[in-house]
Amino acid sequence: MTRLIDELKKLPGIGGKSAQRLAFHILRSSDDDAHSLAQAVRDVKDKLRLCSICNNITDVDPCTYCTSPTRNLRLVCVVEEPTNIAAIEKTRHFNGVYHVLHGSISPLHGVGPEHLRISNLTRRIDKNEVDEVIIATNPTVEGEATATYLSQTIKRAGVKVTRIAMGIPVGSDIEYADEVTMLKAMEGRREL
Amino acid sequence: MAIKQSEAIVLRSYPLREADLLVTLLTRTDGKVRGVARAAKKSKKRFGGALEPLTYVRAYWDDREGHELARLDSCEVLESPLADEVDYPRAVALGYVAEVLDQVLPDREPNDAMFRLALAVLANLRAGAIWMPLTYFDLWIVRLMGLLPELSECIECGEGLNGSRAWFHPLADGLMCQQHKRLASNEMQAESRRLAAEMFRAPIEKFGGTAWRKQQGIDLRKFLAQRIERQLEKKLVTASMLDRLD
Repeated sequence: MTRLIDELKKLPGIGGKSAQRLAFHILRSSDDDAHSLAQAVRDVKDKLRLCSICNNITDVDPCTYCTSPTRNLRLVCVVEEPTNIAAIEKTRHFNGVYHVLHGSISPLHGVGPEHLRISNLTRRIDKNEVDEVIIATNPTVEGEATATYLSQTIKRAGVKVTRIAMGIPVGSDIEYADEVTMLKAMEGRREL
Repeated sequence: MAIKQSEAIVLRSYPLREADLLVTLLTRTDGKVRGVARAAKKSKKRFGGALEPLTYVRAYWDDREGHELARLDSCEVLESPLADEVDYPRAVALGYVAEVLDQVLPDREPNDAMFRLALAVLANLRAGAIWMPLTYFDLWIVRLMGLLPELSECIECGEGLNGSRAWFHPLADGLMCQQHKRLASNEMQAESRRLAAEMFRAPIEKFGGTAWRKQQGIDLRKFLAQRIERQLEKKLVTASMLDRLD
């Protein structure tokens, strides 16, 4: 029991009390539920890996996005984390493929471009497999620095580079937009 | 408890619990203040992009009795680094300014000169033009910390260095003459010493006309960074990243 509590305490956001509560819950649950949980944890480590093409987390390599016959493999959207893919997929309008950097440039944490997973993206570009790269990093200082660095690197290869738009969220009120958001919205305006 | 307000520069923010951020602010009235921005990760309504590092804001917070951390109520953006292009060198330079200010300043001690220096440097730190503002920042911050030795004389013998060669060493507290230089010392060019003297006489805007190459004043910046790191007794993460920039 102590071992289980100690292991659960290592999870983010789980303190001693929560770990104890979870451990007792597991103890009281059925054998099937407990084994299913243990198996799920084991499978995550045994079966999931990074896609060799796009770095997304997958159980088959290459991942389903990279092998899909309905997707445009020459249109690549670059995101910081695998979780960002779900947000873009929710739109149901993007039919390209992805590239996951697994982070962004963060000088304060000692993270430079050499720490990001960029090499397999440049390999795809060098092989002339890409027409356009959409950079969908976060609209933060770190995300912007990453986007600028990538665009400078990719443009050298003559590939079109675009950046996702920034501005006023749908359903919100312009009155409450902060200065930077409004500035970006004005900069990114389009002709109707 | 009454809400306090001040102009402030956001130095850093760290994730705290599920949706909060722990934010370090350099305020004009209260010096360095650490506070919690509740739900800042989940909802962008109250803070928007105001908690990005090196954003100049008007901050509103309250100090709770018996609590070391303030409760950050809201921030209005006055000037954001995101308003201009953020390329990799500029991001590293911004990180360097934030790291140095965070490390050298004590909590809750107002320092208007440091605040004005930070504002002036941030206003001039543009993509493709980072080396002049960084040199100005290093020079003045070392002086304001009281760590800048006389650059015109040898610390060992007191002999004047004007017109002659000068050296510095990570373990020495100032410049040395040819005779007293230590093993593995670096030379500081007379041009860089002249530049330092000029930077003490004129505002930063005077030096902004042309973009500097990295080599310009590199020996002066190295000397100043060594002074800061020696005082902190640790290496700055962003200083080595600046060294690696082309």
